[in-house]
Amino acid sequence: MQYKILLLIASHFWKDTFKSKAIYPIMVITYLLLFFAAQSGWQNNRTQNEMRAKYQQKARESWEANPDKHPHRMAHFGTFAFRLQHPLSMLDFGIESFTGTAVFLEAHKQNTVNFSEASFSTGLLRFGELSMAMILQTILPLLIFFLGFATVVTERENGTLKITFTQGASWKEILLGKSLGLMAVVQLFFIPVLLVTLFFLLLSNATLNADILIRFIAVFTAYFIFFAILCFITIGISATSRKSKNALVKLLGIWLIFVVLMPKTSQALGSYFHPSPSKIKFKSEIEDELVRKGDSHNPDDPYFMSLKDSILNEYDVESVTDLPFNYGGFVMSIGEKNSSEIYNNHFSQLLDIYRSQNLVSRFGALINPYIAIKNISMALAGTNFVSYTDFQTQAESYRYNLAQKMNELQMEYISPNKTHGSEGKTHVIGQEHWEEFPDFEYSFLSIGSVLKSEALSILSLLGWIFLTVGFIINLTKTAKVL
Amino acid sequence: MYKLLFRQFFKSTTIKVSLVLVVALGIVSILIGKQFLSKQEQTAEQISQYQEEGILRNVEYHKDDLGLLLYYLRFALINQPENLAGLSIGQSDINPNVQNVTILNLEGQKYDTDLINPVSLQSGNLDLGFVIICLFPLLIITLTYNLLSEETENGTWRLVAVQAKSKIAFLLAKFSVRVIAIYAALGLLFFIAKFVLSIPFNGAFLVFVLLSVLYIAFWFALSLLLVSLKQSSSFNILSLLSSWLVLVILLPAGLNNYMTNKYPVPEALSTIIKQRDGYHEKWDMEKRPTMERFYADYPQFKKYGFPKEGFTWLWYYAMQQMGDDEAKEDSDAMKSKILQREKTSQLIGWLIPTIHTQLTFNNIAGTSLGDHMNFLDATNQFHEKMRLYFYPKIFEKQDVQAENWNQFKPEYVAKKKEADWLNGLLPVVLITLLISAISMIRLQKI
Repeated sequence: MQYKILLLIASHFWKDTFKSKAIYPIMVITYLLLFFAAQSGWQNNRTQNEMRAKYQQKARESWEANPDKHPHRMAHFGTFAFRLQHPLSMLDFGIESFTGTAVFLEAHKQNTVNFSEASFSTGLLRFGELSMAMILQTILPLLIFFLGFATVVTERENGTLKITFTQGASWKEILLGKSLGLMAVVQLFFIPVLLVTLFFLLLSNATLNADILIRFIAVFTAYFIFFAILCFITIGISATSRKSKNALVKLLGIWLIFVVLMPKTSQALGSYFHPSPSKIKFKSEIEDELVRKGDSHNPDDPYFMSLKDSILNEYDVESVTDLPFNYGGFVMSIGEKNSSEIYNNHFSQLLDIYRSQNLVSRFGALINPYIAIKNISMALAGTNFVSYTDFQTQAESYRYNLAQKMNELQMEYISPNKTHGSEGKTHVIGQEHWEEFPDFEYSFLSIGSVLKSEALSILSLLGWIFLTVGFIINLTKTAKVL
Repeated sequence: MYKLLFRQFFKSTTIKVSLVLVVALGIVSILIGKQFLSKQEQTAEQISQYQEEGILRNVEYHKDDLGLLLYYLRFALINQPENLAGLSIGQSDINPNVQNVTILNLEGQKYDTDLINPVSLQSGNLDLGFVIICLFPLLIITLTYNLLSEETENGTWRLVAVQAKSKIAFLLAKFSVRVIAIYAALGLLFFIAKFVLSIPFNGAFLVFVLLSVLYIAFWFALSLLLVSLKQSSSFNILSLLSSWLVLVILLPAGLNNYMTNKYPVPEALSTIIKQRDGYHEKWDMEKRPTMERFYADYPQFKKYGFPKEGFTWLWYYAMQQMGDDEAKEDSDAMKSKILQREKTSQLIGWLIPTIHTQLTFNNIAGTSLGDHMNFLDATNQFHEKMRLYFYPKIFEKQDVQAENWNQFKPEYVAKKKEADWLNGLLPVVLITLLISAISMIRLQKI
């Protein structure tokens, strides 16, 4: 292979692209769109995070401002966890708008994460959101197809291909050269996205730590591979089509099926075949199991009756008021432990159903590089399913610790003589205990676990690049000049 | 000639495959709508059972304390979707259609979300509305982009020019074959939907169908306009697909971004903090001011006086009410902001048929954001009704057994919505007429 010729062909492709007047308006429109998407992603990220941080602090202030109280009152006072967005979510909104932002954390009760952006949105949200990722995943493939569909096939149609051959070029140089040229043109769109993202990242309050930088590099590497795949496909289709119109129609058909139809249909089918339970069913099953295990709200519950007997035996006392600790606090800590276990079991079953709903489209990544890049991009932007359930897990574990801490305080400091109720100012503990319990702080998933969760998509993308390179190499042997 | 044109039309595999594909997806969407409706129905059944069992169990546990019993009891209000909602699921997969509330403060309860897979939510419902709004235009583009250009590119246009009496008549006849095929597909889908989802034949359904017909006419007009420009097939398909991209994805999505940033809703977060603090801090305060504010809300309970020492349910429920009272301002602000979003989208919809059609579909089907806000209002009323029913009984320490607990069944929201013909159809009629007029004038010159 002669690299000089290859580069010559690539540079010809570049020049040809700028000969057509269509490229200029396309560039202007795409840049405007990109800027709009970047700006609104950044603004949303900033407003939301500022808002959430502000209310996290407010909630904390009013937690600490509580006077001396009975600890169980505080367990019900509870606190909130506000979900912060990952700085990179400005690039890819993922499922961000469809996940709740605030959850109330209190004793005995696992509340839902409420106030997703979607719950405030009109039917417009159904059309999608305009993010940089959406432009990269949806618009740019279309642009690549448009810029490259004609290149080989028109040259064959008007006979220039034959001339190129007589001048000493081979199929290898032509196909790889044209792919290279197309890839170079794509950089006109790709590099601005990269720079704009970097610009807004620097503009945001987030400190650019290693985690963000690695995610940044990884996500753009993935996009780079994705576009290379598309360039090879475009050139390949162009070389195998008999008329330029056919090449265009084929490529547009691919775009429609892979980008529009398949992702939505596969998710819809996944949900159709794995229906998830309603909230009522979910809650009532948990309640039923709890009642069977032992209901701390039932004064005559057998489980708690026998618990009482065994404790009285163990400490060799007649009545719970003779115990060295507050028995009410003890009962609640056992109740909390039981109910949390049951809840967590049911919740992980629910997540399993969601996972199987997502499975159809996740496996879709194997045959559809669009789905693969979509998954990788969301994961690295911290806006995918795994990142969200991780928030839920962290919030629930904070809630559990809060409730148990308050139960401990009750067992330790509240007089054993007082077994029930928590009103009034007689059975209280000092407010210094409130400050002692640290505030909720959300930490994002590590890059390692994020990448692991998307191993399938990464594999698929690598598989596709090998496949398309193989396709082009194979074409160099079979393609026709005339 | 018609017969020939039809035969030629159905010869193409692309046409056959794309027609079958869209109809198949349409049928899938109807089944998804069916599943949505039956899930809602199941939920309504489950909630009845849940409420009955909950009441029974708690009445057993707390038979000597009505105040404590009502701390636990939940009462359901159901927003049962119309069958038409199966065609346009809209926001009703995101927002719950059941409110299951205690008589404690409401602001801490009414925003609880449903349990749904956020990935499915993001991907969006594949309902018939989606098929009509997004996929039918693609079908129209596939079937019409080369209406004239294929003739010129194959060299048959000259033959037509010589043989046909009128070139426009020939083009329009060819065009009408596509129109008939696509409307037949649409009609078939509505026919299937009507029976599978048992949609009653009423004004709402008629407006839904008519709007679909008009919306599709809009896309036909647009493609005819492109044909009248007499450009190449490649140019036509690219322009039409770009229009699709702009109208179906970029404009609505961009507008949505704009509104999210223009009307952020921090009030939601302050509401939940205020409702909690508003109630909880009353535990550590004098009882009298709380009671005074409660009696200002409900003077009819003044006769129960001012409790002094110790715990009473009167004081407790008054404290609960303070949570709602103190969050009211923020809660109202949140509501008005959300309605502002709805209003702005509808206004812009007058110019953009895709947006208008989606919002109107949701409106007709009762699945819009506005419908959910109405449901929240209805929840407020329901909650107040339950409170006012139980308050005097609790305050007078009525016997638990004296109440007929069987009477508390889940209640349904009453709906009285009239199909809005004018606002629903006019925007699409106007823009379709405009584009058709331009393309007919241009076609005269062919």
